[in-house]
Amino acid sequence: MATVEPIIRCSSLEKHYERGGETVRVLEKLDLTITRGQFVALMGPSGSGKTTLLNLLAGIDRPTAGGLVVDGQDITTLSRAALAHWRARSVGYIFQLYHLVPVLTAYENVELPLYVHNISRRERHRRVCEALESVSISDRHAHYPSQLSGGQEQRVAIARAIVTQPSLLLADEPTGDLDRASAAGIMELLGRLHREHGQTIVMVTHDPATAVHAQRTVHLDKGRLVEPHGVAS
Amino acid sequence: MNDARRGFAPLPIFYAARNIGRSPLRLALTAGGGALVVFLVVGSMASVRALDRGVRASGTPGNVMLVGAGSEESVERSEIPASAPGVLAASIEGIRHEGGAQFISPELHVPLPLRREGDPAPEGNSRSLALVRGVEPAAFLVHPQARLAAGRLADAGADEIVVGRALAARLRIGDADVASSNEALPVVLIDERPHRVTGIIDAPGVAIDGEAWMPISDLLVLTKRQTISAAVVSLDGADIGDLEAFAARRSDLEIAAIDEPAYYAQLAQFFRPVQILIGVSALIVALGAMLGGLNALDAAFASRSREIAMLQVLGFSRGAVILSLVQESVLAVATGALPALLIARLALDGVGVRFSMGVFSLSVDATCVASGLGAGLLLGVVGSLPPAIRCMRTAIPIALKADLT
Repeated sequence: MATVEPIIRCSSLEKHYERGGETVRVLEKLDLTITRGQFVALMGPSGSGKTTLLNLLAGIDRPTAGGLVVDGQDITTLSRAALAHWRARSVGYIFQLYHLVPVLTAYENVELPLYVHNISRRERHRRVCEALESVSISDRHAHYPSQLSGGQEQRVAIARAIVTQPSLLLADEPTGDLDRASAAGIMELLGRLHREHGQTIVMVTHDPATAVHAQRTVHLDKGRLVEPHGVAS
Repeated sequence: MNDARRGFAPLPIFYAARNIGRSPLRLALTAGGGALVVFLVVGSMASVRALDRGVRASGTPGNVMLVGAGSEESVERSEIPASAPGVLAASIEGIRHEGGAQFISPELHVPLPLRREGDPAPEGNSRSLALVRGVEPAAFLVHPQARLAAGRLADAGADEIVVGRALAARLRIGDADVASSNEALPVVLIDERPHRVTGIIDAPGVAIDGEAWMPISDLLVLTKRQTISAAVVSLDGADIGDLEAFAARRSDLEIAAIDEPAYYAQLAQFFRPVQILIGVSALIVALGAMLGGLNALDAAFASRSREIAMLQVLGFSRGAVILSLVQESVLAVATGALPALLIARLALDGVGVRFSMGVFSLSVDATCVASGLGAGLLLGVVGSLPPAIRCMRTAIPIALKADLT
């Protein structure tokens, strides 16, 4: 169950880009705290900074200014290599388009992130089976992505994200490329991971029907937080 | 989970192996390029080494050649009196002898047109030359690399010759052919005059392998010469200084003494530009293949920029991803390079390559194989590193959005 311990703390977080000699302010003075075990939906119109914030939380982009502590680590101070190491340990990332490796089977796709970790082959096998079981896709473990439906591919992608048992699960429009029935199945799955395992999830979505599965919704607009001070609801 | 490796965590090799089959066309191009480069490198290396080894090994340590003064750089241009070997034998002690036979070989070296009877005559100005060496039986004493492997020696006055193994191969003459009766022996035309081939000499890796030997008296008649080219002497007690002194003392003979290995080493230097040319030609083709590979891999890696970014999101370092891309390239090159090595070994090993008047037998040895493997590896690594590094320059968030609108 959720505790009051913060897992994400953004303070005056800013992200700017230089484009054509002009500064584009994607995130401005953003303060946000998310506690461990929360399921948070990030909503907002296109260009509001949702995905940029998610990328900052994942440590795959760096803020222009401000503080960002995730899972007890100030990730703004980490080197590129240390950040990759931290990401492997702490973050599971679910992409809108799954990004499965087409030449690997479902099993091998899920196994892939475990190669970053110093664990035995037997332990890898146990974790992959467990992850595939938890997303109800065990019977498709030997299938290649091209042999799976969109919903099944996303389930494999979720198994790949949780197989390392990360502290934080980040999802970028996880149902954005799925039909209604598949999307409902994926949201039910994420809800179950949150309920049964206390998994912290931050999910970007523009679909209110998807956001209702989250415990808390944070609205962004023009790089600013619409929810007052990002206080947990 | 706190077990993320602190050290370098590579991607599994099966990831690279599976990726090579992703684009059959690219695999075919890369493998084909690899095969071409490896075959060329092995071929050129074998040629360069065969030429070098053939020339250098033709000299026997302890042998001295008496050649015409002023012709020390080419025995084929040399002329000495036919009496010189006899005068030498009578004048110098310390010449090797066994069973009453002295190790002095009077020789006449003449490049002559030579072809199998029945083969079409070369057209225009082209001539199929071979080095014909006029010898006496003592030639086998001073040239221990040469051994009569099949048939018999040529009889004087009978228009007969023996040929080196590489020349025999060029003339399509085998051991069985020279084991026949006189009437059935293969016939070759030397300067359009028929000669029976009575035997085959084995002299692997040296110039003799590509030569024809005939009795010196016959060659003198054939070439209407009265002088010979050289006398080759094996020393036992005497040294080259004694022969130099003899040459100086007998100024009427107009001869000079040169160390046989030194002569052939000097000859090898003469061929150095040719060897460099062979190497440079192979290098240019290899560079072309490498540039083609770079271009193909650049496009291939760029088309996978999202997947490459995803791997970094999973926690793989840039180094791990680059290593995997290089592994992939090396494996793709290897799919062409390894069969090419095998084909080179089967197709080139032992093949006679005509050069000037000589024929050198190619030997695809361990050095050639190692050079081919090295070239393939280099092609795989150097061909993939720049595109792999360029691919890594794209920021992860941008790469993840690649091709998305």
